[in-house]
Amino acid sequence: MSSPVLVSDTHHDVHTDHGHHEHHKQSFITKYIFSTDHKMVAKQFMLSALFFLLIGGALALLLRWQLAYPGEAVPLIGQFLPELIASDGVIQPGLFIQLTTMHASVMIFFVIIPLAVGLFGNLCIPLMIGTDDMALPFINLLSFWLYFLAGIVAAAGFFVQGGAGASGWTGYPPLSAIGGLGQTLWIVAVFLVGFSSILGGMNYVTTVLNKRAPGMKMFDMPLSVWAIFITSVLMVLGTPVLASAVSMLFFDNVLHTSFFMPDNLTVASPYANGMKHSGGGQPILFQHLFWFYSHPAVYIMILPLMGVVSDVLSTFSRKPIYGYKAMIFAIMAIAFLGFIVWGHHMFQSGMNPLLGTTFMLSTIVIAVPSAIKVFNWLGTIWRGSIRYTTANMMALGFIATFIIGGLSGVFMASAPVDIYIHDTYFIVAHIHYVLFGGSLFGIYAGIYYWFPKLFGKMLNEIWGRRHFFWTFIFFNLTFFPMHILGVGGHMRRIHDPNVYDFLKPFQPWNEFITIMAIILGFSQLILFGNIIYTWIWGPKAPKNPWNANTLEWHAPSPPPHGNFLAPVRVYRSPYEFSHPDRADDFHPQWLAPGEVEIEETTTVSETQNTH
Amino acid sequence: MILAAIPSFTELLGMFDMLKWFPENVSTFGHELDNLFAFIYYISLGIFFLTYGVLIAFMIKYRRKDNVKAYYYHGNNLVEFTWTLLPTILFAGIGLYSDGMWEKTKYEKKVPVPDVEVQVMGYQYGWTCRYPGPDGTFGRQDRNQMTTSNRFGIDSADAAGKDDIVKDGSFTFPINRNIVVGLSASDVLHSFFLPNFRVKQDAVPGQWIKVWFNGTKVGKYELACAELCGSGHYNMRGEVTMLSQADFDKWLSDESAKKLGVSFAVSPVKSDSSATKKNDSTATVVAVATTDTSKTTNKKSK
Ligand code: HEM
Ligand SMILES: [Cu+2]
Ligand SMILES: [Cu+2]
Repeated sequence: MSSPVLVSDTHHDVHTDHGHHEHHKQSFITKYIFSTDHKMVAKQFMLSALFFLLIGGALALLLRWQLAYPGEAVPLIGQFLPELIASDGVIQPGLFIQLTTMHASVMIFFVIIPLAVGLFGNLCIPLMIGTDDMALPFINLLSFWLYFLAGIVAAAGFFVQGGAGASGWTGYPPLSAIGGLGQTLWIVAVFLVGFSSILGGMNYVTTVLNKRAPGMKMFDMPLSVWAIFITSVLMVLGTPVLASAVSMLFFDNVLHTSFFMPDNLTVASPYANGMKHSGGGQPILFQHLFWFYSHPAVYIMILPLMGVVSDVLSTFSRKPIYGYKAMIFAIMAIAFLGFIVWGHHMFQSGMNPLLGTTFMLSTIVIAVPSAIKVFNWLGTIWRGSIRYTTANMMALGFIATFIIGGLSGVFMASAPVDIYIHDTYFIVAHIHYVLFGGSLFGIYAGIYYWFPKLFGKMLNEIWGRRHFFWTFIFFNLTFFPMHILGVGGHMRRIHDPNVYDFLKPFQPWNEFITIMAIILGFSQLILFGNIIYTWIWGPKAPKNPWNANTLEWHAPSPPPHGNFLAPVRVYRSPYEFSHPDRADDFHPQWLAPGEVEIEETTTVSETQNTH
Repeated sequence: MILAAIPSFTELLGMFDMLKWFPENVSTFGHELDNLFAFIYYISLGIFFLTYGVLIAFMIKYRRKDNVKAYYYHGNNLVEFTWTLLPTILFAGIGLYSDGMWEKTKYEKKVPVPDVEVQVMGYQYGWTCRYPGPDGTFGRQDRNQMTTSNRFGIDSADAAGKDDIVKDGSFTFPINRNIVVGLSASDVLHSFFLPNFRVKQDAVPGQWIKVWFNGTKVGKYELACAELCGSGHYNMRGEVTMLSQADFDKWLSDESAKKLGVSFAVSPVKSDSSATKKNDSTATVVAVATTDTSKTTNKKSK
């Protein structure tokens, strides 16, 4: 299967040099399944990750049910749950920790990272730098299919004896090393999805460095591309460390080696019976390796969206981005500092507290570039002419929630304050403010913004705004109270808080949060409905519906195989909005000085333009 | 009816009062940690209102209007420099200010001289605590002898271990004394969390970590596990009872009597020596207590 694809690629490359594209008729399989076209890979990432979003969301609602109504049967679906893990529909402790583990793992490895870099990397990079495809199209195909395979392996955990992985998304040994088959599958899945990241990352770096359209200097690239580029560097440098950590974990788990296992554990787990580890290992070593990747990974999950949000904000404020270079330096600073702060996840882990001091100081410093970005976004909308499209509302929502998520980060960055809030719902609140309120809102902004380009159809704006309002309101109602639980001392990953007297007064909060979460979950169906409806019946999208400046809006919607109808040249920076000397309030990168584009007046731009 | 459900203005303001959700603090350093939290909280609240105020004001003021073109402007280096420097100073300040508290609560060399020293072992799913007993020394430990019935791996060959008291699930300490806990785990990671004392420390198998606190109030408090350790994690509840020094002394001698009584029954030959030991031991405990009081006063006068 691989060779014909490779052959058609070389063929393809030869033709792009001539600037026209006459392709062999692609079979269904090479066009839709094993496609090397970056737009198809982007669609594949988008649709599979959105599917995983539904699964991850369902897992979350199940565990929320148990927290709000401990010991009560799950309504509607409870009776279908297997007897062992949910007797009479009541979620048992063993299932509960599988749910927390798999919810987080699915959301992080199979939803946010694939959307942030898989979708936007593939969608934005070739189109925004004005080229026909990725530098390594076959690697691109592999990257998606490894991810897909990993997803199946992870999900398979629920169907094996003992259930899915249940050591948290962080998978700390010794617990993860003595788990059953489901835990092993979790380890394999993380390894595979990590490889998918490495392949994707190296492809993006190569493409950005080698395939920019003539005239496009690095500092002419849109911030989305910059952000994904730097993110890719993080992925290439960080993910191999994760891969090595989970490989060693795999050996400990399956072959009973002792990378992370000290001597003579008296373990009661049924899977540990007869397990003879030679000992001498160090459990904390895993945490160092894991967070050396996973702290950069939290930025892998947000930097691309910071880029997307910058582009969306600038376009819909009709204003150049405020401090373009400062934004790039901030991204670089975050990326660099991101590699020296991992220990802030381990303040209470038993590592030498002296290191706690160093990691506290570096962590506090990393809050600075985050703050700079927020200020620059505020600077961007200052004296703008703001259009409230769905994409822009999602971007503004991103900023609003990211402010809260960044501030809660400062609490935890202070090591002594972290003593009390570590491993409580305060952390859960922080995670969701940055990853749901931040990353997911950024992803939604990008989806509403680029859907017309990718699918050639305009998403419904009225339903889009409804989706925004429902999500924004119920997001805050769900996750803000988790700060309160955290301050109350409510531990994370506990099956029944009522075991503790000091947590009993918080039961009404748990119930409230669950009800809000259910509404929040169902609000997301608006997006799915909108996508399906638009795909079938939606109005056709014009070439440049938002009157934006970047190169992707020069290609037809949707772009054909090979993207641009003629070779592109870049004449200016990506954010030339509202130049005083021009009648138009935008000036695309592809227009030669003095050149005017006639077909620019389109149905949507009527309502977007100020003439 | 409905009106009564609408919160008053002060109640609304009360929503911003995060600090009221903390459980009661009963340790000497707890209120300092709470104050540090409060300090960061008020700064955050200030930044929150400032940025949200600006965001909302801009969103309203600069919404699209006919005939108004956006301002063509790319930014200003002096502004960038200022808003880089200010947060750096602010955050670095928070970091440096925090560090003192961190060193005090966690640095091994700053652990105070113990008044009571115990060992705590986390296991799936519970906590067990070992007191040195009347002789004031822990018996030798041997990892190879660690079993579910001897979680500390107390070496049966060592006489110093004979009087060690092991309590499962519920521990007792005196107030106003420095309690130093040597913490470990026998199977997987756990985390020793005393919400009321603002203490949290992971328990790592194969490693002994020192944790200390000094309680200020008599009462029963909960001990929780904060690190996922398996399906019974949620149920790893323990209890800490804080007594006055006098009550603690009495508790300790009762426990020793119980313990040594048992060993008396098992090995009648040693009965004499154990009996004398018991007398001696009460004496030592009292002696320890007196020296301890002087230590605490010393510390206070510093
Ligand atoms: C202002 C910047 C930030 C600071 C100072 C910060 C600080 C921290 C600290 C200290 C922790 C560890 C807390 C603990 O476990 O006790 C943490 C956890 C976490 N942070 Fe952040 N953070 C920041 C931004 C972000 C961003 C942008 C993301 C992701 C997009 C993120 C995602 C996470 C996640 C997922 C965890 C929890 C990991 C776990 O499950 O234990 N953070 N953060
Ligand atoms: Cu981190
Ligand atoms: Cu636990």
